[in-house]
Amino acid sequence: MFTKKGNPDLLVFTTVIVLLSIGIIMVFSASSVMGISDFRDPFHYVKRQSLWAVVGLFAMFFLARIDYRIYKALALPGILLSYVLLVLVLIIGQDIGGAKRWIDLGFFNLQPSEISKLAMVNFVAVYIANKREKLRLFWIGLCPILVILGLKFGLIMLEPDFGTAVAMSFTILVVLFAGGAHLGQLAGLGLAAIPGLMFLVFQKPYRMRRIMAFRDPWADPADTGWNIIQSLLAIGSGGLFGLGLGNSRQKFSYLPEHHTDFIFAILSEELGFIGAFMVAFLFFIFAWRGLRIALNAPDLYGTLLAIGITSMIGFQAMLNMGVVTGSLPVTGIPLPFISYGGASLMMSLASVGILLNISRQSKT
Amino acid sequence: MSRVSNRLVSRRIVILMFAIILGILGLTARLVYIQLLHNQFFQTKAMNQRLQAIPIDARRGTIFDRNGIPLAMSVSANAIYAVPAQVREKAKSARLVADILDLDYDFVLNRVSKRSSSEWIKKRVSTKEAQAILSLELPGIGVVENPERFYPYGSIAPQILGLVGIDNQGLEGIELYYDEYLRGVKGEVIFERDAIGREIEGGVRGYFQGENGADLVLTIDYYIQQIAQREVERVVRETGSRLAVIAITEPKTGNILATASYPSYDILNFMDFPVQNRRNIAVTDTYEPGSTFKAITAAIALDTGVATPNASFFDPGYINVSGWTIRCWHRGGHGSQSFVETLENSCNPYYAKLGMDLGGQRFYEYLKRYNFGSKMGIDFPGEAPGRVRTPSARIPLVTWANIGFGQGMTLTPMQLLAGFGAIANDGVYSVPHYVKEIHTVDGIIGPAIPKARQIMEAEIAHMTRDALRSVIENGSGRRADVAGYEVAGKTGTAQLVENGRYSHSKTVTSFAGFAPATDPVMAGIVVMWEPQGAFFGGIIASPVFGRLVEQIMPYLGVAPQANTVKDDRNQVSIPDVAGLSSMDAEKTLKDRGFKVDRIGEGSRIIGQVPAAGVHVNPGTLVLIYTDLDYLHSFSDIPNPFGV
Repeated sequence: MFTKKGNPDLLVFTTVIVLLSIGIIMVFSASSVMGISDFRDPFHYVKRQSLWAVVGLFAMFFLARIDYRIYKALALPGILLSYVLLVLVLIIGQDIGGAKRWIDLGFFNLQPSEISKLAMVNFVAVYIANKREKLRLFWIGLCPILVILGLKFGLIMLEPDFGTAVAMSFTILVVLFAGGAHLGQLAGLGLAAIPGLMFLVFQKPYRMRRIMAFRDPWADPADTGWNIIQSLLAIGSGGLFGLGLGNSRQKFSYLPEHHTDFIFAILSEELGFIGAFMVAFLFFIFAWRGLRIALNAPDLYGTLLAIGITSMIGFQAMLNMGVVTGSLPVTGIPLPFISYGGASLMMSLASVGILLNISRQSKT
Repeated sequence: MSRVSNRLVSRRIVILMFAIILGILGLTARLVYIQLLHNQFFQTKAMNQRLQAIPIDARRGTIFDRNGIPLAMSVSANAIYAVPAQVREKAKSARLVADILDLDYDFVLNRVSKRSSSEWIKKRVSTKEAQAILSLELPGIGVVENPERFYPYGSIAPQILGLVGIDNQGLEGIELYYDEYLRGVKGEVIFERDAIGREIEGGVRGYFQGENGADLVLTIDYYIQQIAQREVERVVRETGSRLAVIAITEPKTGNILATASYPSYDILNFMDFPVQNRRNIAVTDTYEPGSTFKAITAAIALDTGVATPNASFFDPGYINVSGWTIRCWHRGGHGSQSFVETLENSCNPYYAKLGMDLGGQRFYEYLKRYNFGSKMGIDFPGEAPGRVRTPSARIPLVTWANIGFGQGMTLTPMQLLAGFGAIANDGVYSVPHYVKEIHTVDGIIGPAIPKARQIMEAEIAHMTRDALRSVIENGSGRRADVAGYEVAGKTGTAQLVENGRYSHSKTVTSFAGFAPATDPVMAGIVVMWEPQGAFFGGIIASPVFGRLVEQIMPYLGVAPQANTVKDDRNQVSIPDVAGLSSMDAEKTLKDRGFKVDRIGEGSRIIGQVPAAGVHVNPGTLVLIYTDLDYLHSFSDIPNPFGV
């Protein structure tokens, strides 16, 4: 079970550690004011985040030593478990702001959609590795995956968690693409998905307005445009060198979710273009090395699993930074390694652990 | 893994690598755009949404009379304000605040619940109330010092000063005309707030002192103003006039020493009085001058050569002007008269003739030199221009004949007084003005009024002046004469126009003149609207002017001339009271039979008028000035945070 092969990809490891450290610092900086006003403790949030970082690092080190091939066996149970959890969260989940996304385990808020993402990636990797060229046949290749994915997408949308649902779907599409899926089929699929997405967007008028607010946030500055505007004000205020660590002004209740989904804005405000670009570049390095690990993986399953994990984290980072900078429609997802949130952090670090194991078994 | 699929997978991974390069490039471009190219824009916007400013009124400048007596000044007063976003437990806070300030609970609750950055709860609160509010230490409720207008000598010259609004802005009168100097520059307390309105700890905090308003020194003399106010009230009571005006100027400078009209109002309780009582009638209202205007016609006629001092005129009691008959007020006429006698007799036909002889064009041009029919440029808001017809073929000659004796035109009392001032001042016309000096931060500047100018030969002015002196000595204005002082002047009565025709019962009666005749130090005008009973100017307006001269001349330091003093046997010498306590000084003077008027609230006497040793009639009014110790009792605006 434990592999004793080559060394893990040190660059990926270092990048993740640096991002994690920046994250801890930024969570402290962004949340101290809120910690004082809500809990009379400036360290309230950073203490929790640090705890989960430590737990997550243990998971990462542990998984880096476990041969990734054993997850092949988990493909089907993983999918089934995630379905159960996704249904369960709709029943016993904590209702926070009209959305049921977490199951309270007392010591930990379990986020089924996070587990579900990884389980889905694993399943698809196994599926394609087994089917090989048959993937290019629609009915027995691509179609079953689409059904499984569609069902998950629907369950996650019931929570609702639009951002995670989109991120997961895109990740799976990347894996399918890399796995050699027929481009025509993928394109057709994309076209077919448009009416469905349209329906979801128009079903709740606020969703449409919120999503499209990024195009002209100033049209409705007090409501739908508020988050984007405050985010832009934060990022723009940073300039080249930033206002200095801890000197964010936008964190004073101007920018909502400033320690979670919009933490990149606070980072850009305090550390300036230099800091923001550095974080973006670290994610680039992570994605680049992740794809290299995929290229050099010993088997197709390893390749696809590495691509899934890389794109899961890399795409989520891209989407988050795009939203925060007002370049993409608003979807609420955290920035991996950096945003406050135990469940997300745990899953990201665990996934990196798997990725590192694949790197240890690379062909070169 | 088959080769084919391996190669396909590798190719697609390479495509993904290109995709992430595009992604990072796009994101970097976006960051450059926001953070480097538009940094200033976003930073400013962010700063603006955080900064909250609470304005602090600047201390409004003090208005002094020409002796340095403060007529209107601003003192600090406490005001209570709320920053609604910072107020917690709104109902409880509102209840406490309402109780202390004696306000309605709902009113206070409404104010602290508003969605605005700051709200006034109550202005002008006592120190005790302010202390009580501060001791509650309610978040979001604060005390700030807001200057308040204060009149140390009560309601003196209210129509000149005018009202000041609750936001420290001049609304009327001098307060309005010189508002830009008086109001100063508002100060501000600035702090950074979060999105809910709470102050950000350690945020930017600024206190801008603002700039206090400039002080004004008026040309008004507190004492002369008091005399004018007293006399104008008296004349209204004695004659039953609807309205009366007194204005006094210094002919050599155009300085207005006093302007009073009655009915008046109390500046502190202005709401109890009709709005029209607040008008400074001498400047804002016009009337038909009647015979007083003959002095101007005479001067113009002499200057143009239409009349000479040696001319003589036979008055049959009327004159025909292109079909109209103008009658003299003296039935049967004045017969043969010299030039001076026509003025003494106030002979209408002669001045109608002068008007005709001058002719529209020439007459009109001269009237313009005197600013008749146009605004003089006095430093007071709402100046009326008066009305003089513009000459044209359609204006009949009789119009100019009428103007010759002061009918068919309107002017303000101040316009006519300015004309008399020019006659008194060797032909130099000065625009009357209220402000002598403006004490700004950058130094002292004068009022913005047109320059004085020569409008007639000095010799002509002297001739007119002598004729006006003769009017007092021998003619209709006799009652304006005062023992010891040579008065020059002219009376006038005009019928009021009612429903388009001259009324037989309603008149405007007036006197305009100056003294002493040969070296005038004061010029004055008295105008009464609708006096009851005897309505000829000479009978009721002249004595008013006489009383003014009698009281003002000694004050201005002009001693009565010995040769005209009619009775000096009972004259007494004024004792020296300078340096005594106010009470002792008052007692000393009263014991010797003098009337006493104390100016100021101080305890020591620092000056007196008339001076010690001057011989005056028994019972003369003596003014004593005290040191003005209260001047130090107001402070500058303190920092509301007490930092």
